[in-house]
Amino acid sequence: MSPGVLNTIEVVLNGLMSGVLYSLVALGFVLIFKASGIFNYAQGVMALFAALTLVGFQTGQVPFAHLLNAVFGTDYHHWSSGMHHAAAIALTLLVMVGFAFLVEKLVLRHLVNQAPIILFMATIGLAFFMEGVGDLMWGPDLKALDIGLPSGGSLWWEEVTRAWAAPGAEYYGMYIDVLDVWATVIALALVAALTVFSQYTRTGRALRAVADDHQAALSVGISLRAIWVIVWSIAGMVALVAGIMWGAKSGVQFSLSLIALKALPVLILGGFTSIPGAIIGGLIIGVGEKLFEYTVGPMIGGATENWFAYVLALFFLMFRPQGLFGDKIIERV
Amino acid sequence: MNALPDSAAPLLEAKDISLSFGGVSALTGVDCDIREGEIRAIIGPNGAGKSSMLNVINGFYHPQKGEVWFRGEKRGKLKPFQIARQGIARTFQNIALFKGMSTLDNIMTGRITRMRAGLLWQALWHGPALREELEHREAAERIIDFLEIQSIRKTPVGRLPYGLQKRVELGRALAAESKLLLLDEPMAGMNLEEKEDMCRFILDAGAQFGATIALIEHDMGVVMDLADRVMVLDYGRKIADGAPDEIRNDQLVIDAYLGAAVQE
Repeated sequence: MSPGVLNTIEVVLNGLMSGVLYSLVALGFVLIFKASGIFNYAQGVMALFAALTLVGFQTGQVPFAHLLNAVFGTDYHHWSSGMHHAAAIALTLLVMVGFAFLVEKLVLRHLVNQAPIILFMATIGLAFFMEGVGDLMWGPDLKALDIGLPSGGSLWWEEVTRAWAAPGAEYYGMYIDVLDVWATVIALALVAALTVFSQYTRTGRALRAVADDHQAALSVGISLRAIWVIVWSIAGMVALVAGIMWGAKSGVQFSLSLIALKALPVLILGGFTSIPGAIIGGLIIGVGEKLFEYTVGPMIGGATENWFAYVLALFFLMFRPQGLFGDKIIERV
Repeated sequence: MNALPDSAAPLLEAKDISLSFGGVSALTGVDCDIREGEIRAIIGPNGAGKSSMLNVINGFYHPQKGEVWFRGEKRGKLKPFQIARQGIARTFQNIALFKGMSTLDNIMTGRITRMRAGLLWQALWHGPALREELEHREAAERIIDFLEIQSIRKTPVGRLPYGLQKRVELGRALAAESKLLLLDEPMAGMNLEEKEDMCRFILDAGAQFGATIALIEHDMGVVMDLADRVMVLDYGRKIADGAPDEIRNDQLVIDAYLGAAVQE
């Protein structure tokens, strides 16, 4: 194979792997949107908050340390030297479940039967609130997140691919970050587990039932509130995984919450109501923006990754506004 | 008005129910009792408050006045899902199925109140959750056999024709093995053959699954054949209550609803 073809393959592979992460964030949106018709603007901030909390637990930070020190004149920052990754992840999950409870109790419960735009506004408020609480709890500084996943380029893959090139060609092998591979595997496992759970268990069926018809769900004995707590907990779990992956790549900082915006074009492509749509949409955006940057980017001065996804989404809106897999809304007059 | 001897204890009693939406009153001082094991029909012109009555019984509406007694106990202000868990299942006038789910999944969801396994076991798909799943799958299959819908077991219900959707909805309500089954116009929009099938299923459901049934229906032939007792509503008030034969000959009912046709 010529180096050009190999380079293209490398770009596609890297695109697929970053696409999986987009899918993961989009999945959080789809879960909540299906079950409650809410577009949860706070999904990205949930990822940031989960990552912050995880790092906080890992390094043994005292939550609200600055606030407490300011009020009581103390000087505590760490209550221990930290804890094991697994314990920190488990605790963070608990925090996200607790967060789901609070959202249901303090926000959703009071907004039943409100127009979707009201609920959307509420989630914007929630996003700002969480951002503030995250800062206050764990401090605003950039943090490194390391849960012991291997990272760095894969030498083995470089060796293997170097052999694919024609003999004598100037080619040094493909670069693939092992962390990306791990992220892909974990994301795929999570998606598979969620799919199986929603297909074959009582709670999974209840989730789908609520997504289909609230009234009918009530009539067979499903508590909407319980389902909302479960859905927001699952969205919190997805946010945690996304937060870990993005945080491990680029550190835990405010910009993490902006990856949520990348999920928007993914949703427009895949459809707001489709789990397969979120996955495929994420892959298309991931591959699309990398390929575009690789082929067209150099001609127009690069940095196309910042806007390519949105332009692609714009085109989709013109021709297929319900997305690839979304439900077509038919208004009968 | 009630001429039947009180042979069976009432399973459900709604006493002096008044329900209004703003200034519009949907029900005014309606008493309604449903006895164990009977098929109870509610009839009346459109807008008479029949569906409102069902909605009060299953808790979608809370009446401003009146009490509901179920299985000998006064019911507090419960949510619809809590009432479903107490043993009241229902179908809807304009079909409310889980359209994206298969027939089997719809019926399995109907059994949700009977399933207990914890979230963790479900997540692991093991132990009690797996056992329970198999057990309920068998029960769901019995209902599928009973309603003769084996061939559409895996079809998403949104794709089924109207008559079959109605049947699946009955199946979902039956699946809960509830004490009381509320059917809101189970035969609306069906052809003659489908109606006959549905009649048979409703009669057999009473016998096989031991359910007490309250139904709303406009087809007088069906009502007179099926029902043990009939209650007639008009403008939110009860104007008659009794055996089908009495209702057929009640002058008030003829004037308000039946018209001359049934008189012959």
